Amino acid sequence: MRRSDKEQIIGYLLILPAVLLVLIFLVYPFLNSFYMSFHKWPVFGDAKFVGFKNYIKVWKDDQFWNSLYFTFLYTITVTPMLFALAIPIALLCNIKAKGSTLFRSVYFFPVVLSFAVSAYVWMWLYNESNGVFMYGLRYFSIVSDDYNIWLERNSSLLAVNIQITWKFFGISMIILLAGLQSISDDYYEASKLMGASRMQTIWNVTLPLIKTSIVLCLILSIAGSMQVYEPFLIMTQGSPANSTKTLVMHIVDVGLDYYKLGPSAAMGTTLMIILLIITSLQLSILRKDNK
Amino acid sequence: MKRFSSDYYLYYLLNISLVIIILFPIYWTIISSLKTPPELISKQQTFYPHTITFEYYERILTYGFKEVDESENVTLEDGLLSAGNIFIAFKNSFIVTIGTIILSLIVSTLGGYAFTFYKFKFKEYFFVFLLLPILIPSISLIIPIYILLKNLNLLDTYTALIFLHSMSMVPLGIFMMRNAFSSIPKSLREVAILEGSNDFKILLTVLMPLTIPGILTVTVFAMYVSWNDFILAFLFISSEDMKMLNVALKHIATGANQWEMKWGDLTAGSVVSFIPLIIFYAFLQQYFVRGITGGAVKE
Repeated sequence: MRRSDKEQIIGYLLILPAVLLVLIFLVYPFLNSFYMSFHKWPVFGDAKFVGFKNYIKVWKDDQFWNSLYFTFLYTITVTPMLFALAIPIALLCNIKAKGSTLFRSVYFFPVVLSFAVSAYVWMWLYNESNGVFMYGLRYFSIVSDDYNIWLERNSSLLAVNIQITWKFFGISMIILLAGLQSISDDYYEASKLMGASRMQTIWNVTLPLIKTSIVLCLILSIAGSMQVYEPFLIMTQGSPANSTKTLVMHIVDVGLDYYKLGPSAAMGTTLMIILLIITSLQLSILRKDNK
Repeated sequence: MKRFSSDYYLYYLLNISLVIIILFPIYWTIISSLKTPPELISKQQTFYPHTITFEYYERILTYGFKEVDESENVTLEDGLLSAGNIFIAFKNSFIVTIGTIILSLIVSTLGGYAFTFYKFKFKEYFFVFLLLPILIPSISLIIPIYILLKNLNLLDTYTALIFLHSMSMVPLGIFMMRNAFSSIPKSLREVAILEGSNDFKILLTVLMPLTIPGILTVTVFAMYVSWNDFILAFLFISSEDMKMLNVALKHIATGANQWEMKWGDLTAGSVVSFIPLIIFYAFLQQYFVRGITGGAVKE
């Protein structure tokens, strides 16, 4: 055996565990999802090819459209909230001063917590009779005494958004900070020489220079938000009246509770196509940036 | 920034207020778990516990969450309301997390090593193939994964979670370890080969000690992914003595009555769940940051 042949075989053997993991637990379910979405899956017996019937069923399912609409609504409301917190804090963390590393680790800390813990922590703050958040709102007479935040869709959405913003702004903050740190000091000196005020410098110099980081955060936030499940599963369970049921929650319910595997797979495939478009945008932007 | 200028005060004022706001929910959870029941549910909020009690901790560590009522119609959702113990849940999460860390480290070290030092056909294609978990969101594949696990007899096992968590770690792991190995001069490995040691020995004794930052980044992220997973543990684990910690929290939360949450127990359970993370974070936080930005943030 030639040395290079041996090298090739060892090379393949070394990557084999990683390839097998991805092949079995991702690529196979991925292909199966396509297959399932074109078949009828009875509880007993064999699968039957039904063409696009499952997709048509999904198309006619009102809850699918409601869930898709709600998932979009969540995405377009939570993303600006994340940025509203992440951009100023990233700018603040970019200032070199005593303690800045410590402040940064505190801001990043909620990212480390699990969805479940973060959700329960906030549910306690939102508790209608003993929650300290509600206590604060009542103290300033913003809400009435018996106000329950979970009774309406919009207030539930806002409550979850605040929780998610608190938990996730750290990721955007760190990505933006990495962008900010790559800006050369020359830009700031030039801007100072030209007599620009601090706000002008941020708006006209800093933000355009970290455009790539901003776009990256934007896409990460959109792609992540479209897959939202846990926060609503834990905090609202889809209530009131299924109005806060997200797309993934609906996919799981249809598949595992009602055992309609075909339509569920069809919805999964639809979600995947939406997400593939978003992530391929992300990759193309990153590739452009690397050139 | 000059000391004691107005900017100086503004900087610390802003940062300290933000720190208080960001940490408040955590502080509140910890003190809530230490308050006595009357203080916890009193209308008058107290901002520190007037009398400290550990009764919630004792309760969640010793008792099950709820007895199963056999007469009820038990569905997937109801199954979660049955008995369990947070100590067992902690152990379960611990086993799965350690398993994920070990498997992820093996998979990404071997892979990163191959991609740096070996030449083989279609190398670039394999590399892109291993980045697929970023591109394909596995949450949209929940149902086919459920069926796969059922066919493999892996439902309700640690192994299923370890495999799934490690699969999602593949892109970051391979990427981090390839970077770590490529920063080592190639000549170092060649000298070791000339001295007659075999590949495996070189990897373990010469190269791996030089990739510690990469290994720590993979470890920290594997821990993060596995310890914090809720959805896979929720959907794929059903027996009571196999419950993971995060799902156990849902147990405590819903307790006997879905609409009446046991907040004392729940805040205590949350503290038990995030303490290992705080410890991990305190020592290894720069590796969390590295994992997200690929090492771009300076200290």
